[in-house]
Amino acid sequence: MAHDAKPPEAKLMKPEEILNLIHAQRGSAICVPTMTTGPHWRTIAPDDLSVGCVGFMGGASSLGLGLALARPDRRVLVLDGDGSLLMQLGSLATVAGAAPRNLVHFLFKNGVYHTSGAQGIPGGLTVDFVAMAKGAGYRLALAIHDIGDFKRRLPELLKAEGPIFVELHTGLSEQTPMTARVGVPFPQQVSDLRAKLLKPRARA
Amino acid sequence: MPESIPATLIIDTLKDTFREARAALAAEVAEPPKHSHLGWILSVPDTHQKSVLAALDKEEQIRVLTCATEDEATTIAAGLHIGGEPCVLMIQHAGLYASVNTLRGVGMDGQVPIFYMIGLLSREKDKEPKDSRHSMVRYAEPLLDTFGVPHARLEGPDDVHLIPEYYRLSRERKGPAVVLVGLETI
Repeated sequence: MAHDAKPPEAKLMKPEEILNLIHAQRGSAICVPTMTTGPHWRTIAPDDLSVGCVGFMGGASSLGLGLALARPDRRVLVLDGDGSLLMQLGSLATVAGAAPRNLVHFLFKNGVYHTSGAQGIPGGLTVDFVAMAKGAGYRLALAIHDIGDFKRRLPELLKAEGPIFVELHTGLSEQTPMTARVGVPFPQQVSDLRAKLLKPRARA
Repeated sequence: MPESIPATLIIDTLKDTFREARAALAAEVAEPPKHSHLGWILSVPDTHQKSVLAALDKEEQIRVLTCATEDEATTIAAGLHIGGEPCVLMIQHAGLYASVNTLRGVGMDGQVPIFYMIGLLSREKDKEPKDSRHSMVRYAEPLLDTFGVPHARLEGPDDVHLIPEYYRLSRERKGPAVVLVGLETI
C-alpha cells in the first residue's frame, strides 16, 4: 500500500531551526538526540549534557526515561524520530506508566526513514503519534506545525509537568548520520555525561 | 539436584547488592544521586521469578518499573547507570532472545554495565539446560557464550552470592553479566 510518505517541504518546519531553539532555551537539561537530530545537535551542542542514541535505533525514549528517573532534579529532553519511535512504540506506555515529571519527548515527524534513504515509514504521515501518546497516558500531548507556534510554546513546554509529548511536523534535515562526520563514540558519550552528572573524585 | 530459591532470600540479596553499589559510587564520585530507595528492578514479567516480583510489590526500598519490552529495559538501565542509579533487569530467556541487538548495542558496544537475572522457564529439574527438551532453555547459555557475556546459574539458595558477584563483574568489565535462575523461585 502506498503512503503519503514524503512531506511537502515548503510548509514544514526545518529540524535545524527547531534544534537551535531548543538548544538556546534548554538551560541545564540533559538531551537525548537520535538519528537525524544527531548531526546538527552535535554541531550546536558539541560538549554538553547530551548523549546520543547511536547503535540501538528506537531507544531514545527509554534512554531518556532512565536519565529522567535517575536525575529528577534535571529536565530531560528526548529528540526522537518517527521511524525510531515505531521501533519501540511500547515505550510510550512505559514512559507514561513511570510518569517522569521532568521528561519532554519531542518527536520529529517527517514520515520517512531519512537515514536509510527516505523510505516511507509504515503508515506514512497518517500515523497519529499524539493520539498514541495521549492514549498511553502522557500528561500532555500535542502537535505543532508552525515554527512561530513552536517558538511561542517552547518556554512553557520546558517548564510544564511531564511527561510531555510534542509531535513536530518537519521537513528533512540537511544531514543524516550517514552523511555527517562521525560523532563521539557512544561509550565515550556515556562516560562523559556520567562524569558531568556525578563528578568523579580526583584520584590521590 | 537444583532447588528453588525463596523470594525473600533473593530480595534481601538484592538490597545488599544495591547498598554495596551505592557505597561504591559514593566513594567514587562527589555528587551521587540522593534517593530514598536503594535501587531499581527493571522487569518484563518473568513467570519463573514471579514470586520475587510479587514480593517486590510490597517493598518500599526497591523501585520496580515494568517495561513493555526487554529492549526498553536494557536501554532504561543505561540511562539509570549514567545518572548513578543501581539497577537489575529481571527477564526471561525469551526476552533475552528478543533483545539481542540492544544487548549488543548498549551493553557490549556501548560498554554499559548491565546486570541481568534471567529465568530459565520450563527448565526440567533433572536436566542440565543443554539437555532440555525446550529450545528456549537450551539456547540461553550458548547464546551468552557466543556474545562473550559472562554468566552463572543459580541452582539453589547457596548460590545467591552470585548476584552481587556478577553485579560487580558487570561494573568491572563495563558490559553485561548474567545470572540464570535455574528453577522457579518460591
